[in-house]
Amino acid sequence: MAGTASPPFSRDGLARFLTEASGAASVETGALELLAGGAIQHNWGFEAAFRGGSLSGPQRLVLRTDAPTGIPTSLGRIEEFAVLRAVFAAGVTVPEPLFACLDPAVIGQPFFVMRRVSGTAQGRVITTDPALQPHLRRVAERLGRELTRIQTVLPPRSDLGFLGNETLAERIAGFRAYLDRHPRSRPVLEWGIRWLETHLPEPLPPVLCHRDFRTGNYMLDGPELTGILDWEFAGWGDPDEDVGWLCCKGWRFARLDRAAGGIADRADFYRGYETESGRRLDPERVRFWEVFANIRWAIIALQQSDRYLVGGEKNLSLAFIGRRATESELELLMLLDPEGAPPDRCHA
Amino acid sequence: MRDLPGTADLLGLARRLLLDELAPLLPPEHERHAHLIATAMTIAARELRSESPLDLQMLRAFFCPHPSPLPEGEGEHGQIPSPPGRGRDPRRQAREGEGQSGEADSLLSRLAADLRNGAFETTPSREAAARAILWRMVIAKLRETNPQFLAANGIGPAESES
Repeated sequence: MAGTASPPFSRDGLARFLTEASGAASVETGALELLAGGAIQHNWGFEAAFRGGSLSGPQRLVLRTDAPTGIPTSLGRIEEFAVLRAVFAAGVTVPEPLFACLDPAVIGQPFFVMRRVSGTAQGRVITTDPALQPHLRRVAERLGRELTRIQTVLPPRSDLGFLGNETLAERIAGFRAYLDRHPRSRPVLEWGIRWLETHLPEPLPPVLCHRDFRTGNYMLDGPELTGILDWEFAGWGDPDEDVGWLCCKGWRFARLDRAAGGIADRADFYRGYETESGRRLDPERVRFWEVFANIRWAIIALQQSDRYLVGGEKNLSLAFIGRRATESELELLMLLDPEGAPPDRCHA
Repeated sequence: MRDLPGTADLLGLARRLLLDELAPLLPPEHERHAHLIATAMTIAARELRSESPLDLQMLRAFFCPHPSPLPEGEGEHGQIPSPPGRGRDPRRQAREGEGQSGEADSLLSRLAADLRNGAFETTPSREAAARAILWRMVIAKLRETNPQFLAANGIGPAESES
């Protein structure tokens, strides 16, 4: 949902908070607009006029807070704000994080405020807009370089001490634990999880992973990348995890044939990454992380449906997103059993 | 016996009314909701008119190739290696009492448990047969929920739809 919904909090409280946080004499906020996307978080865009202080003048801002129900593995907003600050300082192209607020008296729940970047993040638009097509290989290469910068943030970091250090084995066990709670058997996912367990790659030193690094989570203003968004899943992990996630078929939108997020061949994305990082990507490791990505995406889709089935959130989109898990299951079969694929027009 | 027109016809008419006459009148931020509703109606209509995507005969043949079926609770390696929580879910137990659907779910649980434990990994023919069930089930489900995704992956419609 985007556009006309009214925020469930007072603009006066927000203006007072911004005044204090920025050291302004006063702040006047315009109407808040619920921005598109944000199934797990709500993003409210607004304009504000600051008189004095660190942001003196007119500003276009975004307030980011929680949706009514979330999914279990996402960070809280204050933690996400700390991650955003860390990657902003590392030179990653992200909306500048400005202020965070834990006090529930302000809008009723924790939130943070960042600058609003322009452009679109809509995957279907990005993968189909004819005006963008000549530029998308360059965007993919840029994403490779951006990912390298994300990976310059290394543990341990006192400001990111909340980020989990879950091992790969523990995360895979978490997939199993979810399936144990799920009311339907998912044999394809069971097989995929078994494959992961029996094909664990040699570990590499951990880096910061975005864990939702994909088309749909970066903004393009024309051909220019203006911001990598949605850091709520970030954690320490394997440097190839985000590579596999971007290439996962679930994020190719209208262009399943373009492996790098539906925008380019994977070679374009790899070139940006390898040039900037000096590390060559190993196709087998990336394949492991693509299998992992498909299982994870399937489970996230099922968890989203749980927000309706268990959490009671009356939302049609959430109610049937669980059916998309089957798309990931098809991709798992294609990755793990390519010889088993039926010929075209097979009558299953 | 229900009155005519049937369920699929009613859903189809309602969907056309929604898309052709109501959606163009909606403000842009709600237009996509109309398409979401239309998609849900399409999936519901397909699910209503097709059989369960689970191929019970194939599952039976896989687990019970001989006339006397395996006793309930036995998997590829004897006792079903039930993972923690499996089989104790009340929703699952309720379903298992629902005749053929319950039998199919039960066999599917057995297949899932065996795959979890790598039960077929030392027997290539069993592994290939298990994979064939998975392919068939996934394709049948996607024929209902997203046949365009199947087509984009090079898998065409079923014979009856072509």
